[in-house]
Amino acid sequence: MDTFLTDKNRAVRRSVRAFCERELGPIAKEIDQEASFPWEVVEKMGKLGYFGIQVPKTLGGAGMDSVSYIIVIEEISRVCAGLGLCVTVHNSVGVYPLLAFGSEEQKKKWVPPLARGEKIGAFCFTEPNAGSDTAGIEATAIRNGNHYLVNANKVFVTNGGVADVCLIFARTDPNAGRKGISVIVAERGTPGFVVGDLEDLCGVRSNPVSSIRLYDSQLPLENLLGKEGMGLRIGLTALDAGRIGIAAQAVGIAQAALEEGVRYAKQRRQFGAPIAKHQAVTMMIADMATQVEAARLLTFRSAVLRDQGKPFTKESAMAKLYASEASSKVTDMAVQIHGGYGYSKAYPVERYYRDARVTRIYEGTSEVHHLVIARGVLEE
Amino acid sequence: MGLKIIVCIKSVIVNPANQSVVRTSDSCELNPFDRPALEQALRMKEAMGGTVTALSMGPESSAFTLHEAMAMGVDHGVLVSDPALVGSDTLATSTVLAAALKRLEPFDLAFFGTRSADSDTGHVGPQTAVLLDLPMVTWAHSIESSETGLLVERRIDGFLERYELPFPSMLTFHPNSVEPRDLGLSGINGAFEEGEIQRWGLSDLDLSPSVVGEKGSPTRVLSLSRAHSTKKCEFLDGTAEEQVEELLRRLLDSGLIG
Repeated sequence: MDTFLTDKNRAVRRSVRAFCERELGPIAKEIDQEASFPWEVVEKMGKLGYFGIQVPKTLGGAGMDSVSYIIVIEEISRVCAGLGLCVTVHNSVGVYPLLAFGSEEQKKKWVPPLARGEKIGAFCFTEPNAGSDTAGIEATAIRNGNHYLVNANKVFVTNGGVADVCLIFARTDPNAGRKGISVIVAERGTPGFVVGDLEDLCGVRSNPVSSIRLYDSQLPLENLLGKEGMGLRIGLTALDAGRIGIAAQAVGIAQAALEEGVRYAKQRRQFGAPIAKHQAVTMMIADMATQVEAARLLTFRSAVLRDQGKPFTKESAMAKLYASEASSKVTDMAVQIHGGYGYSKAYPVERYYRDARVTRIYEGTSEVHHLVIARGVLEE
Repeated sequence: MGLKIIVCIKSVIVNPANQSVVRTSDSCELNPFDRPALEQALRMKEAMGGTVTALSMGPESSAFTLHEAMAMGVDHGVLVSDPALVGSDTLATSTVLAAALKRLEPFDLAFFGTRSADSDTGHVGPQTAVLLDLPMVTWAHSIESSETGLLVERRIDGFLERYELPFPSMLTFHPNSVEPRDLGLSGINGAFEEGEIQRWGLSDLDLSPSVVGEKGSPTRVLSLSRAHSTKKCEFLDGTAEEQVEELLRRLLDSGLIG
């Protein structure tokens, strides 16, 4: 894989890895156990540009390419998947839709503080009755004079507990079906904006995933992103790019599991030899390394296509599907190599195993991605 | 006006070599002992204005390291690279760096790391200062400007020394004198996409091939092989407090701390 990287990409990997190992490595276990959000590290990440990776410099970002982007996400996730999730969701589905669909005024207002990490973004799509069924959204934003009256019950909002700028998907026209959905920006602190309890999750526990509800919130008309009825288009465009980031997150988790599996296999002695000398273990190591590399290459390809301005919907779906499934398998094998210790919190592989599982669910389930890929293949 | 500061940096081998040394951007990194020198230079520039130039002698792969320095905030990068330089020992290297520094004159300060992480001699900074006949303080901890020059604090073996240096002068910095900054993404993007490195060969420095490379090197590495060290694990007895005491005593006795 490194063969394909530029010197700039390599410098990104080296610097992000060094930062994450030093700053996140020592606390990754604790923030998982306590489900706490490491503000101190997040502030430093903001200063280093991790919250505006592909935002143009003129708007306070780092102006990076998509390949550098996936490297940043992979490296953060290799050390702490919850923070990797925070950064990728913020960048890809929090900030990117503002860049792609926002007016100049909207960009100037919201993007610079988001790009500097002074504010955190969130994508509020999922509802109790709408997830994979994207058209099932029940939230409403009814135009009333100079504002929208918004009522929404959004669940499983990544970064929800700390988000300042939220993209709310709501029906501006209750009778227009899929074409009646719009995106309205809601800022924390708006009257009626309520952050629900944090979810007590199985993995990615350092991410404050929560519900966000709006009760009769009055949001100015200028908070509409794009035009009325563009909601699903904005959402699906954001998710096309977003799932490259989730694929990179899955690769990072799997890479960490591979490294731990190899380290343990070389140390642990059974039957008079390191278990890395036992063929059954080497089979697992080979499968793990191959799947990690294949997942990384698929992710890399979708990032390159995006940089080249070529279509990447099918390719990013393939990357996300393969990387998330591979991450589950690789982390499972890392637990298996560790035996009983792998099931103990004394070793980090049980955390990787829990963290990997959700990558098959959020930002489009594996099942939905099968449909997206099949559609792409059949239409060719 | 501000200061013109030159920081001499080296691209070092990340992993121990086997027999021959192959330098690529993957196998090399910025000498960690040079990072404090770069940080000190950048802080001086931020406080007093001016420019910071990173100077390196090495193969083309060293350009990566110069770009990394530029990502930290260095303004200019200069790479001295020439096939005739292969095999240079520390004296030949100092000869080349002194010539390059001459070409960069007038400058106010030239900084070095204390030593390099791969060859670990610590010769190059002081030798270069001798060749240029400039004052140098080694292992500096902190610096501040005075009316006539620079006040330098040097802590060594439990002593605190203070020096006043005129401009121009040269310094090496204690590895723990300052916490080097992390590379931000914006800095990396700018340095690698737009940062230009000036490249000089031997002819640009008016140096004869006889004073550099193997010909100009009185010392010669006869062979290079991986050293094998055996690790042994020992468990300390006693209560936790006794174990800590014993551990501290051993670390002190072996000179690893203190």
